[in-house]
Amino acid sequence: MGSNAGKTTAEKLTEKNGITFYRIRSDKFKTARADLFFVDDLTRERASANALIPMIIKRGCSKYPSVRDFESKLEELYGADIDGSVIKKGELQFIGFHMSHVSDRYLNGERLFDQCCDLLMCMLENPMTEDGGFCKTVFAQERDNLVDYIRSRVNDKMRYSLLRCIEEMCEGEPYAIPDEGTEEDVLLLTPRSAMDIYGQMVSTYPAYAYISGEVDDKSVQRFIDGFAQWDRGNVKKVSVAWESKDVTQVKKIHENMDVSQGKLCLGFRTHVDPGSEDYYPLVVYNGILGGDAHSKLFRNVREQASLAYYAQSVLEKYKGLMIILSGIDAGNRERAEDIILEQVEAMKKGNFSKEDLEATLKSLETGMKSMQDSQRGIVDFFLSQHLIESGEDFDSMTEKLKRVTMDDVVRVAQKVQLDTIYFLKPDGRRQEESV
Amino acid sequence: MNYRTITSERLGETIYEYEHETGLKVLYVKKPDYYKKTAMFGTSYGSMDNVFKVPGREGEIEVPDGIAHFLEHKLFEQEDGNMLDKFSRLGASPNAFTSFNQTVYYFSCTDLFEENFRMLLDYVQKPFLTDESVEKEKGIIGQEIMMYRDNADWRVFFNLLDCLYVKHPVKLEIAGSVESIAKITRELLYDCYNTFYSPSNMVVTAVADLDPEAVFSIANDMIKFKDRGKVEKKYPDEPERLNREYAEQKLAVSMPLFNMGIKDNVRAEGYELLKRRAALSILLYSIMGRSSELYDRLYSERLINDSFRCEVSLTTSYGYMVWGGQSPNPEKAAAIIADALKEAASKGIRDDDFNRVRKSQEGLFIRSLNSVEYIAREMLDSYFNGTGLFDEIRAYEEMDAGYINKVAGEVLSNPAALSVINPL
Repeated sequence: MGSNAGKTTAEKLTEKNGITFYRIRSDKFKTARADLFFVDDLTRERASANALIPMIIKRGCSKYPSVRDFESKLEELYGADIDGSVIKKGELQFIGFHMSHVSDRYLNGERLFDQCCDLLMCMLENPMTEDGGFCKTVFAQERDNLVDYIRSRVNDKMRYSLLRCIEEMCEGEPYAIPDEGTEEDVLLLTPRSAMDIYGQMVSTYPAYAYISGEVDDKSVQRFIDGFAQWDRGNVKKVSVAWESKDVTQVKKIHENMDVSQGKLCLGFRTHVDPGSEDYYPLVVYNGILGGDAHSKLFRNVREQASLAYYAQSVLEKYKGLMIILSGIDAGNRERAEDIILEQVEAMKKGNFSKEDLEATLKSLETGMKSMQDSQRGIVDFFLSQHLIESGEDFDSMTEKLKRVTMDDVVRVAQKVQLDTIYFLKPDGRRQEESV
Repeated sequence: MNYRTITSERLGETIYEYEHETGLKVLYVKKPDYYKKTAMFGTSYGSMDNVFKVPGREGEIEVPDGIAHFLEHKLFEQEDGNMLDKFSRLGASPNAFTSFNQTVYYFSCTDLFEENFRMLLDYVQKPFLTDESVEKEKGIIGQEIMMYRDNADWRVFFNLLDCLYVKHPVKLEIAGSVESIAKITRELLYDCYNTFYSPSNMVVTAVADLDPEAVFSIANDMIKFKDRGKVEKKYPDEPERLNREYAEQKLAVSMPLFNMGIKDNVRAEGYELLKRRAALSILLYSIMGRSSELYDRLYSERLINDSFRCEVSLTTSYGYMVWGGQSPNPEKAAAIIADALKEAASKGIRDDDFNRVRKSQEGLFIRSLNSVEYIAREMLDSYFNGTGLFDEIRAYEEMDAGYINKVAGEVLSNPAALSVINPL
């Protein structure tokens, strides 16, 4: 039934000035976008500044000096969006600048791509400055904003427990640094030091740019030419290489908090390199163990034992980690841990069915296809490929996943090693309300 | 097959509408070149429908809080196994949600749409409840309730609803409480099912890159239940006043969190409801959106941060505007906002604000049509409100500042309530 869309590709347009430009062709979306990413090694020296910079940048530029001017302009452009982001993948940090707008064909004769790109370029080239640094008030506001954000990680207990588990597990490794850096490091920044790092970002960090949606060739070229004047003679090399760390002793962390529900997180080392052929069996392994409603964790922890509303496992591709998360009653902690570890053990023994494998392969295929229905999803996928200089596309990767056998899964299962057990423990103050 | 088409030239989208002989409508949008396919089967029944008349029985019954959500969980369990598992074995992602006024079952997939769609239509018509499985579910939902109890964003919002509403059951927790779900029985669940899961109270929506006839013929084949007559819902008359002005709770959060809101006491239906909602959205964003003077002031004085959001919610039986986020000083932020609302009530909206915010809201709507899930959800919502998907953009296109000012006069002077979560 039904037709299928053509192949989704990221066509390399040019590499200029240390920026590689790609074009993602598709007319099915109602928006056009440009995404620019700078990549840096994840270090304490720069992580916080890297995170702060996009927040400062979107506070205005020479042409639209205040937030009100800038945001009004975006509204005027039919709710166009210009935003920043920061995320770590393995021990690299990605600083993203994103522009998107409604495609011209849905508007009354307006042409937005050039206008929106001009706005993006104005922000990048002419941020609000003062005395050789970022504008002091803007800097102070955004620094406080970032500190608020970092502190508020505790508000979402599920995410907090995941972050804390990783932090404990990777203590002493760069990966322990959170995506947005640390409060301590943010507070050391000044308008000048942040500006210096911004200078390094635009002139030395490797960069990738993606243009998606209905954009004519002339506008694409105009966007690329916009970077021609940037002084980028000295682009540095960053590396995704990582060391596999052997676990000698399982680390156990208990953190008490005034909460109703306990959060149990088990951190594992997968010892699988993202560029290796074992990566595909690992993805399938994770799917069978804790990926979906058919997974062992969901069935055994939730459906069989009724211990949790959620029980799942997630992979960190570029650091070779797998984390199992679950929200449980404090009194059931040991039982939940036992059931979870039994499932991990069962995977090692090959104790799963052909149906489990097939269901996981189907669900991974669905995931690979679905990603192509989101412009941002497509960009993220190709960015991940370009990062490890992999030439895979959606179809070839799907094929590789589909070729994974039960033996392959059992083979990678042997590699997976428990590293850290983290438990966010209700301190009992809310006991009287509990089940 | 007989079906109707409604096309929006501007949006480049067509809705195909089919009516099954039972009266159940199936709304479909074809999305060329999309891999993802989704279908939703929803009933106009949610957490606030806790007093109702069971068809064929005298008088009304009152059911425990959280029962609509409980029933949603239990429908997944069928005689031959769990539906979540069955969908996922076909590579689909199944799910469901219960809101104040809807329960919706859905899946998304890329292949085997027909098999998945048949399963969805089948299981929602076939509850299979046993005393044992009802008891077992209490453990899982108990953990879900505990999870929400620790969620500060959720708590601050429900505490606000409790301030705003004196009687209206929109204030009830969607999942209920550990105590209320303990009272849920198999019999009560069937009473709810038999009352609200009926063709005239439900709708099916789907979005895929498929021929509309193919989608409709599956529905035609699978819809078997009979209509049990019009559902009689009853909500208490909600007084215009607040229940209370202020609520406070302590939780493990990094800094205070607040929600503030006002009720809209005017009830509307159909396109009028949509127009009113669009007017309130434009109004709210022009007062406190990112381009507003108020936002700028609060942000510069560090009374709000990047987490600040505002939103309008309007249905046939209740309506409110809510805004908030983190703030070191919620009381001070609230006082400044209250003054700004007063000023906006007397001055009305400025023409340039109106034009700009309207354009931006139009853009947001067009943008969201990138998502198949959004389209399916929005068709379902608009159907229950007596409108269609494309009426939303029409409401923005036809909007004028005069109408906004009329609505502003009716709403902005209503008393505001404040809900705060403080750190421990």
